Amino acid sequence: MARLGMVIDLKRCIGCNACTLACKQENGTPEGISFSRVITEEVGTYPNSTRTFLPTLCNHCSDAPCAAVCPTGATYIRPDGIVMVDHNMCIGCRACNLACPYMNRHYIEHGLLEHGYNSEGISPMEAIKFADFDEGTNIKCTLCAHRVDQGLEPACVVTCPTDARIFGDWEEEDGKLQRLVKERKGWTLLPEYETKPNVYYLDA
Amino acid sequence: MATTRTATRSQGRWIPSTCGMCLHGCGIKVYVENGVALKIEGDPTNPDNLGKLCPKGNAGLARLYDSTRVLHPMKRTNPKKGLHEDPRWVRISWDEAYEIVARELGKVRRDDPRKLLCALGDFQRILFWGWPAVFGSPNFFTSLGNYCGGSYHPVNGCVDGSFAAINDYEYCNYWIQIGSGDGFSSHLHLSGSAKRMADARMRGMKVVSLDPRCSVASAKADEWIPIIPGTDRAFVLGMAHVLIHELGRYDRDFLRDHTNAPYLVKEDGDYVRDASGKVQVWDLKANAPHAWDEAPSGSMALEGTFSHQGIKLRTGFQVWKDILLENTPEKMAEVTTVPASTIRKIAKEFVDAAQIGATMEIEGKTYPYRPAALNYYRGSQSHGNGLFDNMTFKLFNMLVGNIDVPGGHLGVPLDHRGFFVSPGEDGMLKPEPHQLHPAPPFKYPPDSSHLMEWFPIGFDAGHLNAETLLNPERFGLDYRPEAMLIYHSNPWWNMPETDKIEEIFQQMKFVVAIEIQETESTQWADVFLPDQTFLESTLLNCLEPPAVTGHSLRQPVVKPLGDTRDPYDILTELSERLGFRDDWNDLLNVVCGFTAKPQYLLEPEKRHSVDEFWDRYARSIYGEEKGLEWFKEHGHAVRYRTPEETYLAYGSLRIPFYFEFIKRTGDEMRQKFAEVGLQDWPLDNYKPLPFWKNSQVIEDGKAGYEFYAITFKESLHTFADTMVMPWLTEVSEKDPIHGGILINSVTAGKLGFKTGDPIRLTSPGGSIEGPVQVVEGIHPQVFGVSNAITRDVVTNKQVKLRGTHFNRLLTGSMKYTDSATGGLESTARVRVERVKR
Repeated sequence: MARLGMVIDLKRCIGCNACTLACKQENGTPEGISFSRVITEEVGTYPNSTRTFLPTLCNHCSDAPCAAVCPTGATYIRPDGIVMVDHNMCIGCRACNLACPYMNRHYIEHGLLEHGYNSEGISPMEAIKFADFDEGTNIKCTLCAHRVDQGLEPACVVTCPTDARIFGDWEEEDGKLQRLVKERKGWTLLPEYETKPNVYYLDA
Repeated sequence: MATTRTATRSQGRWIPSTCGMCLHGCGIKVYVENGVALKIEGDPTNPDNLGKLCPKGNAGLARLYDSTRVLHPMKRTNPKKGLHEDPRWVRISWDEAYEIVARELGKVRRDDPRKLLCALGDFQRILFWGWPAVFGSPNFFTSLGNYCGGSYHPVNGCVDGSFAAINDYEYCNYWIQIGSGDGFSSHLHLSGSAKRMADARMRGMKVVSLDPRCSVASAKADEWIPIIPGTDRAFVLGMAHVLIHELGRYDRDFLRDHTNAPYLVKEDGDYVRDASGKVQVWDLKANAPHAWDEAPSGSMALEGTFSHQGIKLRTGFQVWKDILLENTPEKMAEVTTVPASTIRKIAKEFVDAAQIGATMEIEGKTYPYRPAALNYYRGSQSHGNGLFDNMTFKLFNMLVGNIDVPGGHLGVPLDHRGFFVSPGEDGMLKPEPHQLHPAPPFKYPPDSSHLMEWFPIGFDAGHLNAETLLNPERFGLDYRPEAMLIYHSNPWWNMPETDKIEEIFQQMKFVVAIEIQETESTQWADVFLPDQTFLESTLLNCLEPPAVTGHSLRQPVVKPLGDTRDPYDILTELSERLGFRDDWNDLLNVVCGFTAKPQYLLEPEKRHSVDEFWDRYARSIYGEEKGLEWFKEHGHAVRYRTPEETYLAYGSLRIPFYFEFIKRTGDEMRQKFAEVGLQDWPLDNYKPLPFWKNSQVIEDGKAGYEFYAITFKESLHTFADTMVMPWLTEVSEKDPIHGGILINSVTAGKLGFKTGDPIRLTSPGGSIEGPVQVVEGIHPQVFGVSNAITRDVVTNKQVKLRGTHFNRLLTGSMKYTDSATGGLESTARVRVERVKR
C-alpha cells in the first residue's frame, strides 16, 4: 500500500509563499486558517546573518497523535497514509489541536464561516468552498486528497516556483522521496515527538 | 467520509489565460464551474512559467471577488476633495458617465489639449498608452516605470537594443546580483525566473548578493555583502580597477572587435575623425591613426595614449582605464563600507569564473562562453546618477566579454519583436534609448509637464511634475493643467513629494478614473469608470519575458461582474465622443504594426470591437490561422527563444563601451538650451564614461541626515495593488520584515529603540512614521521600509491600515534626478526620532 508524503528542499525554497496562497485558493480556508504556511526566521548576527524559510503543512504522521486522541474516530488515516477528518463525526472537542505538536489542526470557530475575506458577506468562490466546512469542527491539510484521488499532485506542489516541494510515495523502493532523503540526509520536524512524519526536509 | 467540493474535482473546465497580478503576465489556466472561478494555476504548456505561479498570481481570485470592487460607473456628489473626503459616489449609467467625461474633456481639448494630465499604468495594455497623444496631451503624470527603468531601459537600449537584462540562467556559473530580486523575489516573470534560478543554483552556480538588506536573494546567496545604498557603482568601479590595474585580466579581443573601446578620442571627449569623417583607431603596426574599418584587427590598439600632429589621443578604453586609477578598492571601501579585500576577492572570483577565451558550441554554432555575469536592477541604479550606475554595470560585464553570449549578461527584448538591431553610425549598433515612444525633439517652452522634450535619452520622468506644475514659470510652461485621466495608475501613491502632488490634484477641475478599486488617487475623481479584472477581459501580452518569446492570451474566464467595461472599449468610446476615433485607429495601426501589413489595418471610420482588435493583432503577428479563436483554444504562442535570437544579436555591429552617443547628445542639448537662453538647466551627466561622484543623497549626510532609508519589494506584493488584498496581507503581516521600519539591532540599541516603538523618519523631502522592527539583516546605517506596509486608502476592511508611505521621503526635483536620463533617486537620507504618543 502507498504511504504518501513529501520532501521539501530548503535549498530550492525561496520563501515566496506561493504554496500558502495556492493552498488558500485550492481549499478556500476561512480567515486565519492556512494549511500551508512558511515560517520565516532570521538567524545569526549581522553581517553574518541570514533568513531561513520553512514551508510547513500537515506531516501526515504514520503515528499521528491527532488521530490517536480523537474520541470519535473522526480523524483517521487513509490506507494511502493521508490523515483526514470526517467533519460529520467531528464533535469539535479540540483534543487534536492540543495533541498535534506542529499546530496543523484548525478549529472553525462559530461565526467564522459567516464572513470570508471581504468586508461584507462571502464571495461566490467562498460560498462553494465553505460548503466543505462546518463551524465547530476541526479541519486540516488533506494533502489535497481530492486532487490525489484524481491522479493530481497537491496544489502547493504544482505551483511551487522552485520545485522545492516533491510529492511522492515512501513505499516506492528507491523512489524519488527515499533517494532524496538518503542522498541529502533528510530530516523531520520535532522527531522527539516520535510521530513518524511523512514530510521530510532537505538542508538549505 | 470527508467530503470536498474543491476546485479540481468535478465537472467544470480549465480555461487558458494570462495572469494580471503584476505587469509581466505569466501563463495561467483557470478552473471555472457554473460560472464561478475556483482556481488559478500556472499553465504547464507555457514555457515562460512552466506551470508555476507566484503568490500574487495565486491570489488572483481574491481580486476578482473582492466585494469592494467598483462595479458600476459612478459620479461624485461631494464637491470637496481630499484623501479622506468621502466622494459620496452615486451610481450612473455608462451613457451618462461618458457624456460627462466627453463634455469635460472636450472643453479642455478645445481650449488646449495639453491641459490634460494623464496617468496610464496598465503595462499589459501598453499598446493603448498613446491615447493621450491622440487627445493632444504629451503629459505623463505618474512615476511608475521611472523608479526602476529611468536609467535602466535607456542604457539597455543603447548597449544591445534590449529593454531589460538578465544573466544567463542556463549557463552562468558565477552570478553577482546587485540590488535586484531577479530569480528570487521580483522582476521579469518571477515564477519562471525563480524556477530557472533554483535549477542554476542546484547545478552549482554561485550567487553573490550585494544589498543593504538581507533580501531573499541575499539569504539564498552563497555570500551576502551589505552595502550603503546608492554606492553599488563604487563597488563595481573598484572591481573594474582590480581587473584592469591589478590583475590585468579582461577580454581584449571582445573589447577590440565588438565594441568601440579602441576608437580614438580627443581630450574634449569627441572621436578623432579623418578628413572624410571616419573615426580613427590607432594602428600599432603603422604607429599612426587609421580608419576604424580599414585597420587590421590584429594591429588595432585597445589601449594607449598617443600623440598625432601634436594632439593627445587616447582610446576609449584608455580613458576609462585612466578614470579607474582613482577607484582603488581602498577608496571604494570608504564609500561603500565594503572591505577592500572583499572587492578584490569578488573581482578575482568573477574573472576566474568568466573563462575569458573559452567557447561553446550550441546547435552547430560556436559562441564565446563566459559563465560569469553581474545582474542588477532597481536597488542599485534607481539613483540620481543612475546613468553612471547602469553604464558601470554594463562595462564591468563587457570587461569579460559576456554581453549576449552563453553564460553571460543577456539583453531581454521588450516584446516579440526581439532586440532592436540596426546599423548606426561609425560601425556601431544604433542606440535605442526610447523604446516606448519616439524620442521627442527639444522644445522650449516645453509642451509636456514632465519635460520629456528635455530628456532625449530618458524614460519619462513623471516625478518632475511635482516641480514643474507648482513652478510653471520657471520652466516656461505656458499653460496650466486642469483635468486628469487616471487609468490603472495611482500617482498620489507612486510619486515622490506627496504633499505637492496632492496640491496638483487639488488644482484639477475634472478628474476621470478608469480603475478596478478605489485608490488614493481616485479620491479626487469626479467620474469613476470601472475596469475589468484580468479574469474578465481580453488582451494579448508579451512583456519582457526572459528565455522565451511570444504572446499569451488573456481572456474572460467568467462573465464580467456588475457593469464594468474593457478599457479598450472605454478609450475607444471616449475617442468617438471626443471626435478623434479616426486618429485613435490610425495610432493603433502604427503601434500595432498594421501599417506594414495593410490587410489588418483598422478602418479609421469604423468602430472595432475588443475581440476584433485583438484578432487582427494576433493574425498580423502569427498569420491568418492564428487569430483570437486559435488563442482562445491554445492560450499562447510562447516558445523558447532560439540561440540566434538570444546570443550576439548585434552581430558584427559594435556596441558602445565609450558612450559617445550620450556625450554628443549632451553637447547638442547644451547648445539647444543656450539658444533659448536657459543656462541653469543641469546637463552634467551626459558623459561618455562612468566615474564616481557623490550623489545628492550622500551630500545630505552633511546636513544632519545621519541614516539612509530604502524601500524594498518581496514576492507577496507589488508596490501598490496587492497591499489591499487580505489573502496576501494576512500572510505578509506574519513576516517580521513586513512588520515595520527595519533597523539593525546595533543601531536600535544605540538609539534605545525596541520593536514596536513608534518612530518618525525625516528626509529633506518629507517624513513618515511607523513602528520599529529590530532585525539583524540590514546595514546599520540603513532603515528599510517594506512594500507590504499598507496604503492610505483601503476599502476592504479585512486589511489592517498601517499607512507608512515610503515615497514621502523622496524628492521630485532635479537635484535628485539623473540629469541625462531623468531617472529619480529612490533612496533618501533621513534622521530619526521617537514619536511621543
